[in-house]
Amino acid sequence: MSGFANALASAAVVVTVAAVVALWRRRLRSILLALVVQGVGLGAVATLLAVHERDAGLVVVAALVLGVKAVLIPALLARVASASPDARESDPLVNVPASLVIAGLLTLVAFVAARPIVAIVGGPSGRLVPLGLATVLIGFFMMVARRRALSQIVGLLLVDNGVALTAFLVTSGVPVIVELGSSLDILFGVVVLRVLFARLSAIGVRDLDQLASLHD
Amino acid sequence: MNATRLVAGALQLALVVLGGPLLLGLMRRVRSRLEGRDGPRITQPWRDLVKLATKQRVRPTESSWIFGLAPLVVVATAGAVAVLAPLATLAPPLANSTDFVAVIFTLLVGSVVLALAALDTGTAFGGMGASRALTIGALVEPALLVAVLALSLPLHSTNLVAIVADGARHAPVLVGPSHLLALGSFVVVILAESGRLPVDNPSTHLELTMIFEALILEYSGPDLALVTLGESMRLVIWLGLFANLAAPWGVAASGAGGFALGAAVLVAKVAVLGVAVTVFEVTTAKLRLFRLPELLAGGFILAVFGVVTGAVMR
Amino acid sequence: MIALGVVVIFGALGAVASLAPARYRVATSAACLAVAIVAGATASIAVLATGRAVDGHVVSVLPFSGATVELSALGALFSLTSAVVALAATIHWLGYQRHALRSRSAVAAYALFVTCLLLVPAAGDDVTFLVLWELMALASLALVAHDHARRDEARHAAWWYGAMTQGGAGAITLGLVALAAHAKSPSFAAIAASAGHLPASARGAIFLALFAGFGAKAGLVPFHVWLPRAHAEAPAPASALLSGAMVGLGIYGILLARTLLGVGSPWWWLVAGLVGVASALYGSLYAATSTDVKRLLAYSTSDNMGLVVIGLAASGLFATDHHRAAASLALLASLFLVTSHALYKSTLFLGAGSVQYATGERNLDRLGGLARTMPVTTVLVLVGGLAAAALPPLNGFAAEWLVVQSLVHGLTGAGPVTTVATTVFVGALALTGGLTIVAVVKALGIGFFGRARSDAAATATEVPLPMRIGPALIALACVAIGVVPELAVAAVRRAAATMQPNRSGLAASVTGLHLGALRGAVDPLALALGAVLATAALAVLRHSAGPRRAPRRRTFEPWGSGRAVLSARMQYTATSFAEPLQRVFDDVLAPQHDLDVSHAVESRYYVERVAYASADDDVVERRLYRPVLRLATWWGERARGLANGSVHRYLAYGFVTLVVVLVVVS
Repeated sequence: MSGFANALASAAVVVTVAAVVALWRRRLRSILLALVVQGVGLGAVATLLAVHERDAGLVVVAALVLGVKAVLIPALLARVASASPDARESDPLVNVPASLVIAGLLTLVAFVAARPIVAIVGGPSGRLVPLGLATVLIGFFMMVARRRALSQIVGLLLVDNGVALTAFLVTSGVPVIVELGSSLDILFGVVVLRVLFARLSAIGVRDLDQLASLHD
Repeated sequence: MNATRLVAGALQLALVVLGGPLLLGLMRRVRSRLEGRDGPRITQPWRDLVKLATKQRVRPTESSWIFGLAPLVVVATAGAVAVLAPLATLAPPLANSTDFVAVIFTLLVGSVVLALAALDTGTAFGGMGASRALTIGALVEPALLVAVLALSLPLHSTNLVAIVADGARHAPVLVGPSHLLALGSFVVVILAESGRLPVDNPSTHLELTMIFEALILEYSGPDLALVTLGESMRLVIWLGLFANLAAPWGVAASGAGGFALGAAVLVAKVAVLGVAVTVFEVTTAKLRLFRLPELLAGGFILAVFGVVTGAVMR
Repeated sequence: MIALGVVVIFGALGAVASLAPARYRVATSAACLAVAIVAGATASIAVLATGRAVDGHVVSVLPFSGATVELSALGALFSLTSAVVALAATIHWLGYQRHALRSRSAVAAYALFVTCLLLVPAAGDDVTFLVLWELMALASLALVAHDHARRDEARHAAWWYGAMTQGGAGAITLGLVALAAHAKSPSFAAIAASAGHLPASARGAIFLALFAGFGAKAGLVPFHVWLPRAHAEAPAPASALLSGAMVGLGIYGILLARTLLGVGSPWWWLVAGLVGVASALYGSLYAATSTDVKRLLAYSTSDNMGLVVIGLAASGLFATDHHRAAASLALLASLFLVTSHALYKSTLFLGAGSVQYATGERNLDRLGGLARTMPVTTVLVLVGGLAAAALPPLNGFAAEWLVVQSLVHGLTGAGPVTTVATTVFVGALALTGGLTIVAVVKALGIGFFGRARSDAAATATEVPLPMRIGPALIALACVAIGVVPELAVAAVRRAAATMQPNRSGLAASVTGLHLGALRGAVDPLALALGAVLATAALAVLRHSAGPRRAPRRRTFEPWGSGRAVLSARMQYTATSFAEPLQRVFDDVLAPQHDLDVSHAVESRYYVERVAYASADDDVVERRLYRPVLRLATWWGERARGLANGSVHRYLAYGFVTLVVVLVVVS
């Protein structure tokens, strides 16, 4: 097991574990912290690949990932969160222990489901694809199981980060232009959601389930 | 099994017995300092034990033989593990049969008998302590065994001596994500198993929050001394095992000089971990009992990730 | 062969002894059964010692086909286990008869049941097996229904058991008959030889049918609903036989399916593993929250069978992965677990029977303090309980350790599916272990230690000698096998060697808890000796501690938060003990409880009366079976309208049918 493989695996594990932590913690600020850590992990994955592949373009991608996912987006969300500093995910639809156990099962599912991809890609990065897939699944689950609008945005971001991790691992790095496009997309999405969220909280809506009462 | 191994085991036992109360003293001292108090001396727990040994044994009316037996079993099982586990030496007696699972279950015998004794007192406190302690124990178990599974991956063996020796030889294993995740899960396990914050507050005497203190509320005199000693030995064993899994260097392979070095290294490692645990305790609040499953499920998840990454990396 | 004949003859004599006058009935029957049991045990031991199967064919015992007898090492292991359990239960029966189980029909059913338990594993063809299997079911049904005249619960238990066991037998018959039809011979040897030529889908379907049928007998979720009822209502010696021996024969059936059909494909074992995990978790969770001691033990049986099936599933998965060493180790471990479970669970059931004999109570919340009034029974139950909690140095620990080891070694080079399954297995095993400890401590701590919670418990006296000897025998076996596991491993090794991947497998190198070719070992003897010596030394040390002048020991009222008098009602009860767990697993258990607080008129802060009612009914029963039953009842109601007694209407049915048939045919 080479040092590169070990470090890459550790970075990928950080990304996945950060997703679990986001599911685990109740305080919105802790959840945002997990998002930052995940962005850093993703940046580390990109950096490691850049060094290993000796690809200057990947260095730019890594910087982009770090800037957008570890700094910009969490900062945007933190401003929303700062409106209510002690905000918590108080009453999730699926309680926390059950969510964690489900996250564990999703990881196991991802491990089985990623078999064909692992077989095709191979190598130190291809073997880690299950972790990317697991991050996607956990993010998706978070969107399903949490009430707070902010938690659901975080869930969406987890999915995005999971997709990014998978893409990095499968292709050993992503062209700058692609990453630029996707990063800007997600940034744009977050900005829109943030505005929407501000509007919603202006009329006193915190949980998306409350919107159901609008239809009548 | 030859004589040197037996001697090594006996020395290790002596180290754990002497060191247990000292570790408690150290942790209390550090805690006091962090809270701006001067605090008792490090040897204070030993003085307490000696004093307790000269007191009367008071037994609740209508309790039975198990109440008197439990303190003995707690210390005896911890002592047996202290002899067999690779703490200061890699050559304890019966090194081939020092199995991780067996160590866990041997320590469990002490907890179970103590819980029975608590129920034997016929009070609400005893029942409360036993019920809570065992509920936590049951929920810790999955994290613990799956973490053991993750740690056993490189060698396909749960032999502790082999795992520790292998870790010292192959450093990359130690920084591999699988190993680190398993250790992370182990941290949760240790906090829960040894009743530290945020799981249980070892210095509380408030009825509603006590777990371990409620369990041993009726013990007094030499019995209380034994229970306290046994608990402190268990803490040393858990921390020592954790230290040797995380940083398996300096554990003696053979020889008297080697053992002396191993003992010194063990003392240093356990002291560092003890201080770390105390610093952590000072900065956290106790979790509500019904929030604990969240923490323990988190430990379990880390262990599962450990196994998965271990299997992925193979 | 001769020994098996002796089993049949003396078993029948035991049943005939039910005609004896009431005073000698049980004693005579027990004596005959003892001969049968010893003969059965001798035959089994001979097979296990030599490794050579006994076989023979008896014409003219059964119509059409005669009976084929084949006692392989695998069967011998199960037969021997049944024999040991039956011996203990029968000795216990000598005392228990004063309480119950002495009527003519009960004695006959008991004798028949014991005989069948000894003989089922010796059946060598479909017909013999099914006949013995059905006889066993009938005899046990009679024992479950023993108390039907006095207790409604017994009648319900018998209904549930009868329905489940007949459904299971139907599935088994279908599977075995299909196999026999393909092999053109009912003999197991012929079936095993020809089953390989069946298409994979047919083999899978037959495996599922057999697994469901035998699983129902073994009390696996979701077919477990009969088990907590039947095992709780049957008289103690019968419960011990049900839980110790008969449930194990369900596992024997699953092994038989594997012998006949081969290892098959991974999905068989994934299904089995899933069922095993569900049973283990479900059983242990309900065991931890039950308050009826026999119900608790019955749920724990379901949980242990789940663990056994997990071991079998792991063995199957590893075998399909071509990991022979781990496959054979897993098989060995599950066989060891079945035999260990038989010993400690029957100890516990017999102990619970003794408690019921002495106090008339099964409810833990009305027991307590028995450690002082019934010291011997308490120690026996303690041994059985600690073994069930898998604590060293008892046989339960050896079994659990072997299962864990097989999983650890199976992870070597396993594919993703097996890795995932193994991880889930380990997690389930661990949680089950923890929950079982809660259940055991609750049963022992609330039931036997502490203060007596009722007059019956306070005035209980130790049970008669036979009721102590019976369980003592198997409790001793638990300790002996726990300390020197090779005693049982030697037999289990032989039995495991008869099954497919093991013929040349590595299980042969396992001695005691030393895994031989695989790395891993425990030395329970040294561990136990060390711990016992240390305990003794500490006891001596403590004896010399204490004050110089004042007395060294005294007793005093425990701390009651300042109250002067503590009553037994202030203790934790079984319900309150399990409350934290019940809250943690609220979503799974969905307990139905009802808290009714009436406040005093003067102020809301004073409580006048608190009423708490809880019903610990089974969630699978409530959510899965009740709706089905309601539907069936609804159909039944509808159908009743069809048959209202009018002859004209019946004639009209016949007429319409005739016309329809004519139309269809033409």
